[in-house]
Amino acid sequence: MLFRYYWSLLVIVGCLTAGCAAKEEGTVIGISFETLQTEYWVASIEAMKSVCEENGVGYLEAVANGDANRQFEQVNNFISRGVDGIVIAPKDAHTVIPIIKAANRAGIPIAIYNRLPAENEGDYITVVADNYEISRNTVEYMAEVARESGKKHKAMILIGDLGDINAVNRRRGFDDALAAHKDLIEVVAEVPTEWNQEKALAGVTNALQVNPDIDFIFSSSDFLFPSVVSALKNADKYHPIGHPDHVILGGFDGDAMAYRMLREKYLDADGVQDVFFECQESVLAVIRKMREEQVPDLIVDPGFVIHQQNLEQKAESMWGASF
Amino acid sequence: MTKSPNIILYLCLVYYLAAALVTPGFFTVNNTWNLLYNLMPLLIVAVGQMLVILTAGIDLSVTAIIAVTSVVGGYIMSADYSPVDSSSLAIALGILGMVITGGIIGLINGISVAKLKMPAFMVTLTGLMFFGGFAVWLTKSQNIYNLPAGLVDMPYTSFLGLPLPIWTGLLVLGLIYLVLNKSLLGEWIYAVGVNPKTSRISGVNVDLTIIMVYMLSGVTAAIGSVLYTARLETGSPVMGQNLLLDVIGAVVIGGTSLFGGKGLLQWTVAGAFFMAMLDNSLNLAGLSYFLIMIVKGVIILSAAMLNVWGERKVIWSA
Repeated sequence: MLFRYYWSLLVIVGCLTAGCAAKEEGTVIGISFETLQTEYWVASIEAMKSVCEENGVGYLEAVANGDANRQFEQVNNFISRGVDGIVIAPKDAHTVIPIIKAANRAGIPIAIYNRLPAENEGDYITVVADNYEISRNTVEYMAEVARESGKKHKAMILIGDLGDINAVNRRRGFDDALAAHKDLIEVVAEVPTEWNQEKALAGVTNALQVNPDIDFIFSSSDFLFPSVVSALKNADKYHPIGHPDHVILGGFDGDAMAYRMLREKYLDADGVQDVFFECQESVLAVIRKMREEQVPDLIVDPGFVIHQQNLEQKAESMWGASF
Repeated sequence: MTKSPNIILYLCLVYYLAAALVTPGFFTVNNTWNLLYNLMPLLIVAVGQMLVILTAGIDLSVTAIIAVTSVVGGYIMSADYSPVDSSSLAIALGILGMVITGGIIGLINGISVAKLKMPAFMVTLTGLMFFGGFAVWLTKSQNIYNLPAGLVDMPYTSFLGLPLPIWTGLLVLGLIYLVLNKSLLGEWIYAVGVNPKTSRISGVNVDLTIIMVYMLSGVTAAIGSVLYTARLETGSPVMGQNLLLDVIGAVVIGGTSLFGGKGLLQWTVAGAFFMAMLDNSLNLAGLSYFLIMIVKGVIILSAAMLNVWGERKVIWSA
């Protein structure tokens, strides 16, 4: 009996849905993020939504909570919904490949935000910061500060997830910048964090116990700063610039905490990704691709380094300053 | 065993109809395929979990089994690591290795619960930590790539008009149906769930039953892992790590009693379908991530409350 009602209802619903589907919905872009765990990702998704609104484009959003499999399902949901374009901040360089393939099979333009996919034959646009160059310039500035102090330094780097090409490039930038300062700076600790604050805290705490004279720290992401600051405070090593025991600090991203630390003179330099530029380019690239206009396969955000000397000039461009 | 109709079947229908009415793109052929495609691996893992819960146990280690088997399969099949030249042979050995690994972990869980009389919750929670950590340690937290084309194309390969993941799901469902309804083991599973002491006196091999359900849960988790690994083209030490709530949610929403002895395969199918449909429809509706999490949490909690309330009502009326 129930099933008879069900099938009748199903037919009615089918007709209604078909009616709805016939209406023009306008252009819709699916925005998929692997996580919103850090300010950077939150600022990014908000910026993308703003760009969509400014351009009169509707959007659907999905967040995979760090699960590549869920992200794959969510993008498939977008595709079955019939979105006109997809912008994705993927979990990593490889698990995005089946997602690119799925979008290509459906003929939907796709832009990859902030992470360069591993080599593949898919048709996609990548918008990514120059992680290597920004890191190298940031660490280069920190090394100049160290040289001005006139003493030798022991350095530590907090490394991200090495499955993430951004983490690899930031580490390369760090290594290459310090290669020219071997006489002055010795790297004594490399803390693997896998982009996890608890692991970062444990790693930095351990490293400071083994090497209490560490006085030069580069964090591959600003979102690890709470862990760094906590460990430094525990070791009584968190002092502002100008204090004789100040630890030279540098980071990457440009988030609100980094901005605050710069203002309070605890942070020496920060590599800033231009979130607004990257988000705008990602959405616009998909829109241009939908209109079958020419779009480069790779759009690079050159970013910039913000430090105590250029803080006033550059603060306006630092996304964390307005977050 | 009880065969009374369950509220979840009606809830599923009502939700499906409501979603079809209000969610653009939900009631389409494309999305129906997509829904089935998303459903299959979850369903396969959930029916294994259902067997364990029917015996009044729980298997919290399923997501770690998915991760370990994904890594084991990855190492056997990947062109970067595989000692086997033929990709077909590598796929066969890889899948076999994954299923055996899942079965062995299930065997360890089962022996710990049945023979060592350890609480299932503790055994499998420890298993979740140990095997989850083992997968990360084994791979040094790196994913395994370069899997054979035969495997990564599998999700998009059809046989008699149906994609292979759907055939895999139907095959597993068929086997579990036979186990539950046409075999002595099925009767033992329900009996152990109702009362293990009287079951033992009545001649049921309780220990063997418990060991078997954990092994079957391990095997189904491994089969689910094959599908996850194939579609992500990656052997990953964190594969499925956020899936536990969905798996247990599917069984609980399906009305399988957390106290054991009551539950049917079709209920779990409906529960898993409901979970997949919930994700799909909320996603299509454009709801934010936070709202989706809140809605899912409320629904799973409500189902668990209904589950417990139903049990108490039975006890009171008795």
